[in-house]
Amino acid sequence: MTTPSVLDEAQLGHLRHWDDLSRRLPHDWSGMQGKGAGEDDFGSYRFQLAYMVYGLALAHRHRLPAAPGLFRPTIQRLIEKLLMPDVWLYWRDVSRGGMVMNAHLSEGYHEEWDPVVRDNIMYSAYVQSCALLHDHLFADDRYAAPGALTFAHWSFFWGGEEKRFEYDRDSLNEHLYWQMVQNGYLGVACEPNCVFQICNQPAILGFRLHDVITGGDRATEVVAGYEKAWADFGRLDDAGHYNQMVLEDSRVVAPNALRAPWVDAWCGALMNTWNHDFVHEHYPRQVRDFLVPGPDGTIAVRSTPAMNVMGQTVVTDTCDTGWVAAWAAEMGDRATLDGILAHADRYMGPTRRDGALFYPRNDTPTDADGHRTEIEPMTGNVLLGYARLDVPDGLHELYQHPWGPEHFAEPALTEVGRDVEVSRAEVVDGVLHGRLRCRGRSGGDDDGSVLVGRVPDGARLRLDGQEVAARPVPGGLWVDVPPGPAHDLELVP
Amino acid sequence: MSAPTDVAFSLVDHDGRPVDAGSWPGRWLLVQFGFTSCRVVCPRALTKLTEALDALGPAVADRVRPLYVSVDPERDTPEVMRAFLTASYPCFTGLTGTPVQVEAAKQAFRVFARRRPDPEDPDGYAVPHTAITYLVDPGGHLARHWPDTADAPTLAADLTAVVEGGRVSPTAPS
Repeated sequence: MTTPSVLDEAQLGHLRHWDDLSRRLPHDWSGMQGKGAGEDDFGSYRFQLAYMVYGLALAHRHRLPAAPGLFRPTIQRLIEKLLMPDVWLYWRDVSRGGMVMNAHLSEGYHEEWDPVVRDNIMYSAYVQSCALLHDHLFADDRYAAPGALTFAHWSFFWGGEEKRFEYDRDSLNEHLYWQMVQNGYLGVACEPNCVFQICNQPAILGFRLHDVITGGDRATEVVAGYEKAWADFGRLDDAGHYNQMVLEDSRVVAPNALRAPWVDAWCGALMNTWNHDFVHEHYPRQVRDFLVPGPDGTIAVRSTPAMNVMGQTVVTDTCDTGWVAAWAAEMGDRATLDGILAHADRYMGPTRRDGALFYPRNDTPTDADGHRTEIEPMTGNVLLGYARLDVPDGLHELYQHPWGPEHFAEPALTEVGRDVEVSRAEVVDGVLHGRLRCRGRSGGDDDGSVLVGRVPDGARLRLDGQEVAARPVPGGLWVDVPPGPAHDLELVP
Repeated sequence: MSAPTDVAFSLVDHDGRPVDAGSWPGRWLLVQFGFTSCRVVCPRALTKLTEALDALGPAVADRVRPLYVSVDPERDTPEVMRAFLTASYPCFTGLTGTPVQVEAAKQAFRVFARRRPDPEDPDGYAVPHTAITYLVDPGGHLARHWPDTADAPTLAADLTAVVEGGRVSPTAPS
């Protein structure tokens, strides 16, 4: 069930922050760098970019369904960044194998530049699903164009000829599907030999969206095969937490042995797309193991100590706080979500900048009183906002009840100036309702305007209850949003 | 690895003759992978495919060659394949080969198959495998495939549409 509402200041702040991040100059990742080197781990740019896209998709689908013009350009800019070599060049090295659990396999692998051609579902599925989210939500074929998803890199200083790998939403989807088939639907590996449950969920979402756009029923096929393949291992480990991964060569399953919150939370939040009852059944017991009650209703998320392997301490952004918040939001567990957000607001340095809200990276584990203060960019930039903007079963509904043609016939804010804050955009009984505020910051030509598109003949436009004239253009009506407090816009057929 | 396109293989049929994708000129090849000791998936799939083939009109049926390719070449010799198919699924021609030949065919069709212990099997192992049904056109290109969940009427309708050059069901995966 869609639950449009008026966004609050915090939700608007997260949207503004994501918009700001999407507008950063190429290769400017300031504020997004995590603890790890080389874009290997769970706080990497690819995850931040992809989950901003997911968060925007959920906010559009459930909160502001009549504001495609607010979300579309941001999602496009984020996907553009997702394709940048800074994001995927790690694969040239990781593709060679040799991670600690697979050191014996490194001789069987070679350096691979194409970041989606084999394994690396931890990247390829995000490119696939983000492109398909865009094309589904905006009834667009932008990423169906040949080469629309191209991975390219050339350096003046090293490497010879340009490395260039051209895909589009259909060819990439096809490619991932056949990898699934050849792996017996168990899933596609992330690092060589490591098939994670988590990272195959976005691919399933992508298959579903591709089915919606193009027809077919591959998602059903893949889910059926996935269930059968994982039946040999069990989706849960002996303690009732999600199994983390299967090693392809030995068929040994790796449980969530350390009881890491992110393993359950990430998997559960995503798997709710197609496996609602199972995920909801196990959630209450699983999440209890991760929560630490604090003062005044605050709830912290505990993390497991960093692993020590081969004499090295593993440096990684667990993003435990963010993932449990996102999971709680998807499960509709309002009490837990509110407690975690209250903890973040109290102990994790919420920061406002030109209307944007984020929680800057802090590597200090706790304050003097033992309250968790450590927060990673993935959590502080993305996941807490994602959790605030998601609705109960948000991903599930997006997967199960995608928008049909009727949605795209309704009036909507098809373009939104950068200075306009949209806190409401929905169509109720044929009337478009918007709540708009002009922040008066940028000063561009249409920065304080919105374009109302798909306008029925004879429709009347009202601002704060008064009929107003608007600038008619071929795509609809341009409306200048007066400065000052928020204004209520209505388009009445 | 993208979708299989030009589907090449070099195997032997259940009469011991070397065959490849060009061995049935002008025919559409309906290809199912499996193994004769399979207790559930293959009998179900072969029964369903037989039902679908029986539902085809004669003009279409004459242009379709049903093939059953073993993923268990150690046990599935041509003789074993012939006996198995003749007894229960006589419209199919069995294909097998050396392990290397079978592996190459699996790769060409992107087929998953992996031997694993099975205490209920007399030889102690089974070979779980992809249960997709493939249709290869007379030029050796993959034209269509169906998941295990496609039922016989759907298969028959789609086969007829494809072979006759008509429209393929828009709801079925291509």
